[in-house]
This record gives sequence, C-alpha cells and structure tokens, in this order.
Amino acid sequence: MPGDHRRIRGPEESQPPQLYAVGEDEEPAARDPTRLRPVYARAGLLSQAKGSAYLEAGGTKVLCAVSGPLQAEGGERGGGPAGTGGEAPAALRGRLLCDFRRAPFSGRRRRAPPGGGEERELALALQEALEPAVRLGRYPRAQLEVSALLLEDGGSALAAALTAAALALADAGIEMYDLVVGCGLSHTPGPSPTWLLDPTLLEEERAAASLTVALMPVLNQVAGLLGSGEGGPTESWAEAVRLGLEGCQRLYPVLQQCLVRAARRRGAAAPP
Amino acid sequence: MAAGFKTVEPLEYYRRFLKENCRPDGRELGEFRTTTVNVGSIGTADGSSLVKLGNTTVICGIKAEFGAPPTDAPDKGYIVPNVDLSPLCSWRFRSGPPGEEAQVASQFIADVIENSQIIQKEDLCISPGKLAWVLYCDLICLNHDGNILDACTFALLAALKNVQLPEVNINEETALAEVNLKKKSYLNIRTHPVATSFAVFDDTLLIVDPTEEEEHLATGTLTVVTDEEGKLCCLHKPGGSGLTGAKLQDCMSRAVTRHKEVKKLMDEVFKSMKPK
Repeated sequence: MPGDHRRIRGPEESQPPQLYAVGEDEEPAARDPTRLRPVYARAGLLSQAKGSAYLEAGGTKVLCAVSGPLQAEGGERGGGPAGTGGEAPAALRGRLLCDFRRAPFSGRRRRAPPGGGEERELALALQEALEPAVRLGRYPRAQLEVSALLLEDGGSALAAALTAAALALADAGIEMYDLVVGCGLSHTPGPSPTWLLDPTLLEEERAAASLTVALMPVLNQVAGLLGSGEGGPTESWAEAVRLGLEGCQRLYPVLQQCLVRAARRRGAAAPP
Repeated sequence: MAAGFKTVEPLEYYRRFLKENCRPDGRELGEFRTTTVNVGSIGTADGSSLVKLGNTTVICGIKAEFGAPPTDAPDKGYIVPNVDLSPLCSWRFRSGPPGEEAQVASQFIADVIENSQIIQKEDLCISPGKLAWVLYCDLICLNHDGNILDACTFALLAALKNVQLPEVNINEETALAEVNLKKKSYLNIRTHPVATSFAVFDDTLLIVDPTEEEEHLATGTLTVVTDEEGKLCCLHKPGGSGLTGAKLQDCMSRAVTRHKEVKKLMDEVFKSMKPK
C-alpha cells in the first residue's frame, strides 16, 4: 500500500479474479426461515489470554480473547453514563474496550489490514451489547479488553462475535450478570418478503435489510440491537426481533454446556 | 514455593533447570514442542493453514488477486507477506499499526521467500507487462508463546502448498482476462524452507524452540532457515550475545535434523488430503 512503510509493499491496486469469472451466480437454497445452523463453541483455548472462546456456526468462524482487568489508560474519565443508579459512580466504574477485526482472508475480497469505519461501528456495537451484562462496578479504574477476530465470514458475523465475546468474558472469570447471546436475521427482498434467522453469506448479500439481536437469556432482557436496510412496516421489524430472541434462547443450552466443559478442563489441569 | 521463587528470581529458577540439562516444561535442550498442522480450513481463502508449536498458534490465509507486474520486472508476480501480532495473541501488543516485532517478522518472512525461491515469481506472471498474480499471505498470530518465526515459516509453507489458482486466459480480442473458477491448479513449490530458532542463555548455552518466558530471559536469539538439500537460505541473528563458529555449526546441524522432521509431518498431512 502506498505510504504505509510499516508493511511489505505490494502493487498499487489489485482486483479479485471473481470480477473476471465466467459463470452463473449462485442462488441461496430455499429453507425453513427459523432454522439455526449447528454451533460449535469452545472456551479456554488460548494460553496467553485471560479468557478466550472460539465459535463456529456454519461457515462463520470467530475467535475472541479477553485480557484484564488492567490499569485504565488515560487517567480521569470525565463523562460517561451519568448516574446509572445503584452501582459505583461513573468515574469509578471499569471500562470495556472492544475491538472487532476481520482477517484479510475472511471475505470474498481481500480487505487490507487497516479496517476502516465498519469495524469501528461493529466494535462499538459489541461494547454497547456487552456492557449491560458485565459488572463493571466491581473493577474500578480498570479496563477489560475484548478482541474479536473474524477468521471466516459465513453470515451473521456480528452475532457470532457477540456470543464468542460473552463466552470469553465468562471464561476469564469476569463477574457478569448473564451471558449475552447474539442472533442475526435478514429480510429477503422480492414479492413475498420473509425474515430469515441466522442467514448465510449468500442470503445476507441479497438481503434488503438485516438485523442483529443480542439477548441476555436468563434475565430475558435485550442487550443490543443493530439493524439497517428497508424492512417494511414496523410490525415486520417487531416480528423479526421476536424471531431473533427465540433463536437466542435456543442457542443458550449449547453455550452453557461449553462453559461447563471449559470449567472442568481448567479444574483438571490446575496444579494441586 | 516454586511458583514464588519463579516470580521473584526467574533467571535463577531457569538456571537450576538448565544445570540438569532440561527445562521447566520437561523438554531437553534440543527438543521441539509438539507441532501440529491443519490445512485448508478457511473456505474463503485460496489457501490456508493453521500451525501449532506447543501453545504458539499461527494461522496463514492466502488470497490471490490480479495486479499489474512491477515496472522493473514485467515478467514477475508479487508475493506480499504480512505478519499480524494483535492484542488477541498476547497482552504485550497494542491494536493499531504493526509494532516493531510484527515488522521484523514480516521482513523476515519476505527475506525467506526471496532467498529460498519457494516460488519462482515468473510462475505468477500471466501476461508479461500486463497481468500477474499477487499472492497476499496474511499470517495472524492467535497465541504468542514464543518462537513466532518458526511457526510463521511453517504456516506459510503449508498454506502455499494448499493454494489453488483458477485458470486464466487472456482473450485476444477484448484484451481482458477470462477466469475459469471451476478449473484450479496447485502452485509449483520449488523448495521447502524450514526455520529453526534458538535462544542463547548466559552467552553460552543454546536451547531450541524457546517459549515466551525463555525468550525474555535469553541474552540472544538466532534463527536458521534451511531447505531440503541442507542448504542455508537465511540466518537471522538480531544482536544479542556472540556465538563461536563451532556453536553456529551445531545450530545448523540441528536445523537440518529439524527440517527432516517437519518435512515428514508435512508429507503425511498432504498425503492424507490427496483424495479430493
């Protein structure tokens, strides 16, 4: 990249071979709109991180690591959410710093490393969804760093990252009120629009609107919501949110199992 | 008790083990950690591999794109390596532009590719002066427990062997490329460079495959890259304590043995993938 002297130089610009490919576009297959892809979740796999989790749902692979609590940088924190009743005053609460990165080889086109606006938006969405679940008042003047890395994008990347981040926080032993489970939805365009739960990459690319819901399953409270596109009337969005919340509840037992197994492994490996 | 001593006097703690010719994790001085490799797991990449050297985990994904060949070498393509060390792999790294260790590692991988001629860059050229393949090799470290350079070199080699490029024809009339995604072929890998890293303790003792703690306590490091004929491709010694000629010779013979071990592992992995 011109001007970036910290990385090895390549050509000024390059195009993916798919642009020149001769062939038909694939059409996503018809399927049950409420099906969830089978999920593989594993916590506690990185030795250098305080807590970590790997989540694989269909073609989407996300790895998340948590480090902390560390000394907060930047000294005094002025503003922050004013008087969120009950807990420690805003200046003493801990901070949650989230970072969302896509691997350059995760999508159809290579994305050069400095991510850009989209990654920052998703990192902010991660932070906003995880904050209600973490007891930040218990970590005064400290910061928790959550880094999510998307290894392969097969649809519903933000939802998978949310779930992996919550698992990693739990694996790190950070005090939380509840886990956060994420679920993605997409709205098919065309004559009979339907909301599809847990879309694949093809379905997401062709969608007219998309939505990601984050739920705290036991408390049954919505932790985060991010949607965009033209979805139609408000009832349609309400129905989508309901579908998403159901999906999150269905996913919860798998994550519980995963954390129990990780705790057992830690117990077995701990020195006497 | 031992844990307390280790925190207060890490170097003394290590010296006690080294006196008995072994290390805290039970390895001998010349023993490598368990190496595992997994190839072709990322569907969106043209070639990928995941290498684990003990706890150190590196994933390599290769994306192939079209680009114009460099003006000073119109019949060559590009191979662009990039090593990414992020806060994910260790709390020592900050997010943002690549730090010093990442830049050094990227440059090392670029040197290995250049010196060992893993791939003839002329093979990557499609139409001289107009179109060539650009192979972006992105190595992301997932867990940093020492010896990044060995893991990265191995991951790069395994991923390159896994890369499949679609067939490209230049249409004479329109002068545009026509890509046939259904017909893919593997790259022609000419040599198999393998890196072996050493850490120097107290200016005299050499240990192979240092973990992160050992790298911190070491007074110097050395990385030797050899290919299958026992030829030396690259030697990386960034300062640190000096080594006598005899010690260097020992390192190189150890590197040659390591090459055989790694080659055997890779051949097994690729043979088991053959029916495709």
